[in-house]
This record gives sequence, structure tokens and C-alpha cells, in this order.
Amino acid sequence: MAVDADVVRLRRGDLNTLPELITRYQNRLYRYLLRIVRQPAEAEDLFQQTWLRVVEKIRSFDASRNFDAWLFTLAHNLAIDHLRRIRPQSLDEPLANSWHSENLAGRIPRKDYTPLDHALAAERRSEISEAMAGLPMMYREVLTLRFEDEMKIEEIAQVTAVPVSTVKSRLRRSLEQLRYALEARYPGDTWQ
Amino acid sequence: MSEHDKIRELLALAAADALTSAEETQVAEHVRSCIACSNELGAWRPIASELRRLPTPQPSSWLVQATLARAEAKLTEQAEHDWNRRVMIVFVAFALLLTIASWPVFHFVSRRFGSLLELQFSHTWICFAAFTALGWLAGGVAAVMLAIRQRGERRLA
Repeated sequence: MAVDADVVRLRRGDLNTLPELITRYQNRLYRYLLRIVRQPAEAEDLFQQTWLRVVEKIRSFDASRNFDAWLFTLAHNLAIDHLRRIRPQSLDEPLANSWHSENLAGRIPRKDYTPLDHALAAERRSEISEAMAGLPMMYREVLTLRFEDEMKIEEIAQVTAVPVSTVKSRLRRSLEQLRYALEARYPGDTWQ
Repeated sequence: MSEHDKIRELLALAAADALTSAEETQVAEHVRSCIACSNELGAWRPIASELRRLPTPQPSSWLVQATLARAEAKLTEQAEHDWNRRVMIVFVAFALLLTIASWPVFHFVSRRFGSLLELQFSHTWICFAAFTALGWLAGGVAAVMLAIRQRGERRLA
């Protein structure tokens, strides 16, 4: 069943669709929040708050619009409010915490890779994860929305409430900063 | 800014598939004839590719259940709030109706008893209006205090 149909049913007050929707979006939404706040406990709390906000506001949601963008907009607003309240100075603060409890599927080697290729690829992803965690919040956000959630630039603009040109500019700068960080952390590596 | 420099600024976005079709064509044409830009684009590609394949962090297994429990509590609270509001509206409407209906009754009774007891109630209506206003004011204050208390309880919960 399409997500839109579930959303329409939820709008009509059919709560049976809520577990289905939460389950469907849990990985994407949690990943997005974790990339922003970087602390698993905070990301989980914000995850719950986001769905509470969905329940609260679903009647005002225009079903002809994109639910993904609307959901992530709610999460974005809650995460920004949370960071402003809890750690206002940390909005742009780099942090060295790496991700934890990663998806096992991401660790399974592809058949066309040799073990060495797999080890190198895993190392690269780990290097990128660490470098990404050190970027300012707005850069981490645009990177995760574009590359991990595969959102269009227009959708990212909607989520972050900025013009498309700003999203593009942020995306370019975030990639540049990421590359500089990788080259600085791992000089001589094959990032260039 | 030369065309080469302009294209160079677009290369990171090209690796992110974030260009318009016109920009994409422009970049593709330039890269075909410019080795430096071609190499630069080649340097962006693995970064973009690895970003797309970053492992997805998994939330705790209890998160969905906990979220559902909180959502259900929220819905119950919302339903209760809606019901309270509806009841409040009915009560306010009833009180208003009662007030309006009591005016002619009060007028009739005050005249009858006033003439029987030979009392002069020259300010009957003013007294009655003041009494009504005071009653409504007390009701309003009570409603506001109740709302503040409920909000405080919700915040603590």
C-alpha cells in the first residue's frame, strides 16, 4: 500500500495506520535525527516527539503534498529547537563521536568484492562518517538528506525552509569541507 | 570568472546529481575537453558514492513500541481535551441562556415583592447586571486557573 493512502487514512482518524507508518519511516527518520543531534538518546527522544507532533498536526496536513518532506520538516524544527535549548553553542560544533549500532546489511560484503576491497570500502565509509560528524550541523543535515535520504534539492529546501539556491550552496560547501577534512585527516589517501 | 572556473564550482554538485539539466550539459561538454576538470570530477565521485552507501544507524528495538504508547497517550489526552472543550461550550451556552432567561423573572419578582414590601428598588437593573458580571467574571477566572493548572500537570507528565 502506498504511503499516501496510509497518510490519508491517518488523517481521517484511522490509528491502525500509525504503527505501519512509524515502522516504515523509523530508519530514515532516526538516521536523519542522529546525524543532526549526534547523540542516540536525544535522537530517540526527538523521534518520539516527531511522531507525537504528527499525531497532533495530521489534520492540518494537506494530503496532496509530499508527506516525507512534511515529516522531515517537523523533525527538523524539533531538532533545531532542541539544539537551541540544550546546546545552543553546539549548532556548529564539531564532535568526534562516531555512529553506533550500524545496520548489519551495510556490513555484508557484496559478492563482486574481494575481502580486501570490502575492508577498504568499510574503512573509507568509517573515515567519511568520522569526517562528516565533524562538520557543522547544517552541512551534516544537507548531506544526509541528499545522499542518504536521496531527497531532491527542492524537497531539502522545503524541509530546511531555505531557498533552493541556499541548499545548493550548502551542499557544495559541505562537500568541499568534507573533502578538506578527509584530506587533512588522511593525507596521502586516495580522496583526490 | 572564466567558464572554466564556473564549471569547476559546479563539479561537486555534479557528483551529487544536484545540477539542472542545462548545467549538466554544460559540465559534460566542458569535462570532455578539459582534463583538469575531468580529474576533479573524478575526485568528487568516490566521495559522493561512499556518502550514498554509509551504513544506516539502527534505533533501539523498543523505540517503535514506546513511540506508539506515547502517541496513544497523546491521542487519549487530545480526545479528553476535545471533550472538555465541547462540555465547556455547552455549559457556557447554558449559562448564557439561563442569564438571559432570568432577567424577566428577576424583573417580575423584584417588582412584585418590591410593591408588596413597599421597597424602592430604583437600581434593580444595575444591581442585577453587576451581579451577573461578577458571576461571569468569577467563572472566567476559575476557567483560566483550571487551564493553567491542567497545563502545568501536562508539562509535569
